[in-house]
Amino acid sequence: MTPPTLQTNKAKSSTAPGKKPGRGRHPETVVLFYVANQLFAIAADSVHEIRSTDSLAGAANEIENPELPKVRHTIDRSGRTYYVVNAGQHFNLPVTRPALVLILRQFRAAVLVDRIDRMAEIPGVYPLPLAFVGEERRWYRGLAYLDDSVIPVVEPTGFLTPQEFQLLDRAHKRAHEREAASAVQA
Amino acid sequence: MSSIAHIAENATENSFVLLKIGHRRVALPAILVAELAPPVRLHTFPHTTPMLAGAIVRRGRVIPVIDTEPVLGGKSPFSHRFYLIARRRIGQTTELGAITVNGECELASGEMQPPAMDRPAFVAGTLAVGDESLDVLNLDAFSVANSQEARL
Repeated sequence: MTPPTLQTNKAKSSTAPGKKPGRGRHPETVVLFYVANQLFAIAADSVHEIRSTDSLAGAANEIENPELPKVRHTIDRSGRTYYVVNAGQHFNLPVTRPALVLILRQFRAAVLVDRIDRMAEIPGVYPLPLAFVGEERRWYRGLAYLDDSVIPVVEPTGFLTPQEFQLLDRAHKRAHEREAASAVQA
Repeated sequence: MSSIAHIAENATENSFVLLKIGHRRVALPAILVAELAPPVRLHTFPHTTPMLAGAIVRRGRVIPVIDTEPVLGGKSPFSHRFYLIARRRIGQTTELGAITVNGECELASGEMQPPAMDRPAFVAGTLAVGDESLDVLNLDAFSVANSQEARL
């Protein structure tokens, strides 16, 4: 198996993932990644591990779930099942061939991305302007301004809603039951 | 650029900034105008809100850019796009928003007349300037609800 490309430290941060940034912005370390040539940032401390898709090819299981096409695989890590979300489909971006998987720290979700740009410290996260009223309010914690670019800072909990987790858990359970039944028959 | 800021500072409720969006001349209450910004970079990122083109950064703020094209029509070439930044009411609060203009702005005074019944929500009224009757824009109404409305 290919070694992990990067394993992030369990850095302590004053912003818990999922918490809306307050008025006072403060610096934080982010991982910058690309999906379909669009740059995103995610708080480094919300990423447990970054691996190549090749290294996980044998460990991934398909999941049948036509209602949620952005999730087509699960991976088992440390006794937990992670649902693999295709970030391109999640953000309605053109189809690409993702090469990396971000395994999130506090959620049973992993995210397929094209490539990592770098880790960087951002001076703070700007709140998303109120004019944005669509799904992006769930997708992003806010916006970062780095190297003359506005970069959306993704909200890790936004990749899968609790309802979507329930849906996937049911699909995963059904798949397990089918596997067990076919093993008994064999 | 500074002249617009000066205009806004001295604006009364009968002052209007006349501007050109695409090929159309419209008016905006001068009291709402914050700045005419140069053609800075438009930053885009995935979102699902209709009628928003992206955001610009101006004076340390991230300002959403309203895409007026679906309703006002006309597309200014990128090289000629300036941003008129104005205050918008969103829910209980106000926020700055920008619209792309071709950079030609002038100040006019007059009394806004109520819009005709059939005018879309983003027309707050009409303003007579010389022989012309210009629509006065209501930027608050450039939102999801109006994205399907008929063109002006």
